[in-house]
Amino acid sequence: MNVLALDFPPVSHLFEWPAILFDGTIYAVNKTVLIYLFAVVATAAIFLAAGRRSAPLVPAGVQHIAESGVTFVEQSIVMETIGPEGRKFMPFLTTMFFFILFSNITEVIPGIQFPANSRMAVPITLALVVWVIYNFVGIRSQGLGGYLKNSLFPPGVPKALYLIVTPIELVSTFVVRPFSLAIRLWANMVAGHLLLVTFAVLTAALWGAMPPTAIAPFAMLILMTGFEILVSVLQAFIFTILTAVYIGGSMHPAH
Amino acid sequence: MHNRPIRLLAAPLLSLVVLVALAGPASASGESVGGCMAERFAEAVEAAHGDIEHAAHDEAVQKQLEKCFEAPSPILPETNEIIWGGGAFLVLFVLMVKKGYPAVQGAMEARADRIRADLDEADQAKLDAQSVKSDYEARLGDARTEASRMIDEARGDAEKVRADLIARAEADAAGIRERAAAESEAAKAQAIADLRSEVAAIALGAAERVVQSSLDADVHGNLIDAYIDEVAGANG
Repeated sequence: MNVLALDFPPVSHLFEWPAILFDGTIYAVNKTVLIYLFAVVATAAIFLAAGRRSAPLVPAGVQHIAESGVTFVEQSIVMETIGPEGRKFMPFLTTMFFFILFSNITEVIPGIQFPANSRMAVPITLALVVWVIYNFVGIRSQGLGGYLKNSLFPPGVPKALYLIVTPIELVSTFVVRPFSLAIRLWANMVAGHLLLVTFAVLTAALWGAMPPTAIAPFAMLILMTGFEILVSVLQAFIFTILTAVYIGGSMHPAH
Repeated sequence: MHNRPIRLLAAPLLSLVVLVALAGPASASGESVGGCMAERFAEAVEAAHGDIEHAAHDEAVQKQLEKCFEAPSPILPETNEIIWGGGAFLVLFVLMVKKGYPAVQGAMEARADRIRADLDEADQAKLDAQSVKSDYEARLGDARTEASRMIDEARGDAEKVRADLIARAEADAAGIRERAAAESEAAKAQAIADLRSEVAAIALGAAERVVQSSLDADVHGNLIDAYIDEVAGANG
């Protein structure tokens, strides 16, 4: 794409990656897949290394990372949204938080510079898993009838409003929710990656033409890189806390 | 044993290196429009047995070439990425449930228990110290009371001793005064008696010389005594 003499790569060049292994099969391994595997290796390594060490009074290093993560998920997500009975979901929510975080943070790691969640595969897969879990929890906690009744006919709403509220709740709870969850994460990472690429391309192009003019986009590139670190963490947090909110809502319909 | 965590932490670093080596940012794919058109046109020419003119005017070929402008939808997930991404999450979840999470949670609980035990111990030590302090303060209070009592008692004793001493001194002084008065009275009486006999003797001698008479000494003495008593009674 050529705009004002700047050669901006087509979107397919920013998000699609050639296969490295098993090309042409459904098991093809590309850069996105490698980032997923990196997220698994990094999370597992941190938790296994932290778990192997004897517990000193003041945690440090990986132990600090793992324990801070667990405490953060427990105190800021589970206890705030589900309550003490939500502790049984801690391994799932902790895994989700770290997996999404490491899949996002590659966006700012030099040499990689691509967020795996700017591809729809993991966001939609995780969102569908969340959909299954919160519906299962709702049916198990309230029974099928109770869950449907409380979901479609929220208590405390005037009966006349059910004509409007019930169809909205039906679509919102059972159809839109997983897609909104997935698209929120995906779109944020796509937008972040596009912003970084835009300023990087602009910096490179201006550096070639008039070096002093490249300072502004380069400053923006640095600023946006810092901002994207924040977005990476924030999106992992938002995806996880919304999951906890949905599970908590299924367990406690009155709230 | 200490090397195991280090080896574990080397794993994500190694995977990062592999990631950069195999799929760096510069290796982004996505077939270019020009490349796509060139490739498809070459296939069409080959299908037309090298007849470029025929291939160029074939509508089917043109439609094929136009498809090169269609970008794949970025929102549709790729099957291979769903399989690998879902599988990766599943493997990580199993690892976390079986090993990672319980280990970290266990370490945190062990630390919490240790801190709780230390705090309980500190509370107990504080209670013990407070108990010792209370005991010490009670003993100190008792000692102060005892000391005060002893001082009061000593003061009472001293007062008593002082009163006794004063009384004894006063008694002694009274005795001394009485004895002194008695001695003084005796000395006075003695002096009077001595003086009387001296005066009598002097008067007698003088009278004898003056009168030159042989008056009986006893008569003279009686006269003199009667005179002196008279004089003493007149003086009061």
